Amino acid sequence: MTTRRRDILKWASLAPLAATLKADGNPPLLIRNAKIVPVGAPPIAKGSVLVIGGFIAAVGENVTAPAGSQIVEGEGLTIYPGLIDGLSTLGLDAVAPVSRFGAGAPPPSIAAAPVSISRGPEDRPLTTPWVKAADQVKTTDRRLPQARSAGFTTAVTFPTSGIFAGQGAVINLAAERTSQMVVEPSVGMYTTLSTNRGGGFPNSLMGVIAYLRQTYIDAVHYREATAIAAKNPQLPRPGYEKALEGILEAPRTLFPAVRAYEIDRMLRLTKEFPTKTVLYGLHEGFRRGEELSKAGITAIVNLRWPEGTRDGDPEDREDLKVLELRDQAPSTPGVLAKSGVKFTFSTIGVDSPAAAIRAVKRAIDAGLPQSEAVKAMTLGAAEIFGVSNRLGSIEKGKVANLTVTKGDLFQDSTRVQFVVIDGVKHDPTVEETAASR
Amino acid sequence: MRTSLLLLLATTLFANEKDSFFMKGVTLFPVASPKVENTTLLVVDGKIADIGLKSAPKGVRVIDGKGLQVYPGIINSATNIGLSEISSIRETNDTGELGDFNPQLRAIVAINPETEHIPVVRANGISTVITLPGGGGGFGGGGAGIIMGQAALIHLDGYTYEEMEINRTAAYQMRFPTMSSRSFDFDTFQTTRGSFADAKRRFDTQMAEINKFFAEARAYMTAKNAKTPGLKVNVRYEAMIPLFEGKAPVMITASKKREILAAIQFAEAQKIKLILADVRDPGSAVEDIAKKKIPCILGPVTQLPPEADAPYDFNYALPGQLHKAGVKFAFGSFANQFARNIAFEAASASAYGLPYEEALKAITLNAAEIWGVGDKYGSIEKGKYADLLVTNGDPLEVKTDVKMLFIQGRQQSLESKHTRLYDKYRLRPN
Repeated sequence: MTTRRRDILKWASLAPLAATLKADGNPPLLIRNAKIVPVGAPPIAKGSVLVIGGFIAAVGENVTAPAGSQIVEGEGLTIYPGLIDGLSTLGLDAVAPVSRFGAGAPPPSIAAAPVSISRGPEDRPLTTPWVKAADQVKTTDRRLPQARSAGFTTAVTFPTSGIFAGQGAVINLAAERTSQMVVEPSVGMYTTLSTNRGGGFPNSLMGVIAYLRQTYIDAVHYREATAIAAKNPQLPRPGYEKALEGILEAPRTLFPAVRAYEIDRMLRLTKEFPTKTVLYGLHEGFRRGEELSKAGITAIVNLRWPEGTRDGDPEDREDLKVLELRDQAPSTPGVLAKSGVKFTFSTIGVDSPAAAIRAVKRAIDAGLPQSEAVKAMTLGAAEIFGVSNRLGSIEKGKVANLTVTKGDLFQDSTRVQFVVIDGVKHDPTVEETAASR
Repeated sequence: MRTSLLLLLATTLFANEKDSFFMKGVTLFPVASPKVENTTLLVVDGKIADIGLKSAPKGVRVIDGKGLQVYPGIINSATNIGLSEISSIRETNDTGELGDFNPQLRAIVAINPETEHIPVVRANGISTVITLPGGGGGFGGGGAGIIMGQAALIHLDGYTYEEMEINRTAAYQMRFPTMSSRSFDFDTFQTTRGSFADAKRRFDTQMAEINKFFAEARAYMTAKNAKTPGLKVNVRYEAMIPLFEGKAPVMITASKKREILAAIQFAEAQKIKLILADVRDPGSAVEDIAKKKIPCILGPVTQLPPEADAPYDFNYALPGQLHKAGVKFAFGSFANQFARNIAFEAASASAYGLPYEEALKAITLNAAEIWGVGDKYGSIEKGKYADLLVTNGDPLEVKTDVKMLFIQGRQQSLESKHTRLYDKYRLRPN
């Protein structure tokens, strides 16, 4: 259990005291007379949000602030729950190499991937499930202020190199100390279909798929053997396998699937795996809304929409299927929303957080209702990663992560006025605003 | 002259001449003229001496060709025969010397007369091939040069390359730089697109190198012609002289419109004779090719279209379109693996718009004319060499059997590694 979680329980048990305590040393913050989009509850045309001690203390049309509160006049502003980047590398200092299955970008370089000459599954090639983003995030990542300026307050950050790359964490995008950034340290395992290009097994797609299978079979066996050994201390110990521990520990697993055939393959394959499946990529998901819905799979749509080479050969005639994907990929979120697939967005491979927001706008233009876009980036993401009890909506008792804009989100004219993270107001600096636009 | 001598000494000579015979009862398909049914053919000393003689001159070997059909020997206008045995085994490849400019390299001197490819190819009625010094597969050393050497026109018969030779400098093989920004990524197994500006820069750099080499070679020729004292012999420049003098053409590989137009422009600027090779996707450049009467060597048509969305018959239909536009072309396989199937490439094209006669011409007379030997080869005419293919049917038809093949009147064995293995395994007890 995290500190943050304990905090919540503490606050709950000490409810009468909560209103007066200022655990983070900041005065209460009241944003008043603003339009509020709480997500999960009807919008309030004119209301106020009161933040005390890093949590939302009150939301409504009539909220009175305790004496000494910092007051922000919200006239003309809209308050959203803090936007969550549903799959990213934010906070990880060195930008992790992007998996080609995540964003159609080049696969991880040999130098970056944990390469070993492996002979088979027993060597656990490209498998580092013990790597945790929570252990590696830093407040010093230069992209954090950019992300805040674009309206993001939270990110789900994953290590991304290797077949079992490691475990992701939900982090808030501002804190004094790194330890305070982490909201939930282990929310899932990130997998790719990387081949072992340093040499050795697996060196092909079929090898990687066979390896995924073998590893899950091994993991289940390991879990059972460990349970039996625990009950029967006289039996030989099954041994400790750190690779399998991490795989079993992860509450859900992210698998790559960009094209329709990849989605089909993953839907079939992951049925065999003893883990909750989340697919990421999904650029051709517009063809598979029904199938994904029926399978009850949650999805993370990558916001780096496929695009042509900027400096391409003018005489190059591109294949119809490439053009079609390029044209229709942004319609995927709309299709998923209509089919009832729970989804959020990933910014891996996207140039900047601001570009990610613009990419969401393209999805809206291609048929995603604005409200669904907001939901996908707030409560939807929180639900997918199991943190909706703390994040994702403007509700009394939730972490005070807010995104305050002038104008509706995702419009060209929208300006992010400020964000509130853990109750602390962060104004975009001038250059960050300029850079993000 | 020899023929007149023979007329005098017919009785004594005919019996011993291996390259003289009288064939009767055949249907002739001379290519240059309409077919002649149930006729005879007299070959004397390797040349066609007469057509339609009622009876054989005394002493001449008589071959009964009743019901058979006679065509000119087939010419494959691009192979590596004699230079490459198995393209993927480096040790068996003599193509693709290192270095960008190697006009002095002559494919003919490297030809191995004992290559297994010769009998295999011959068995399908091919009497003559162009052997290119540059490799198609890229396994023969460098292979990425610009002027790769001199292509040789050879007969598929002879103990030495001298005996096989028809023209040792049939053309200079040149690979034109491409402006392609596409490359194949073996990791994703997909075509990736790089920067076009970079591709253009590479193209300009290479073109500058080419123009520099040509300018230097020309300066050398001028100096040589002026008998400049103390001029140091440079074999590379020396080898360019026949090209500049118009005695041999340059065969430039250029598949797409942009490269084709650039190649035409280059040849015009250099005032050299041009043959375009491996034309695949010429687009509107077809008009330029036709207008300027540039002969083309087409690659195999039985392969995938150049792009995923191109019509399935893109390659099959191209020869027909070129013919319609008035372009003269021949077929070449640009590799050894399927060199024996060249007639079927023409056949596929004939099923997609190329008139049958033209398909036949493309692998016989057109090829001979393009390679500058149309007066001696490529059709069945009096006075031409007797490179003859005798079949029981249409040679463009897969099921047709090749019954005999003559090269300059000498009957060839149709046995090959394929037939030897066939015979061996047919006799296997179980």
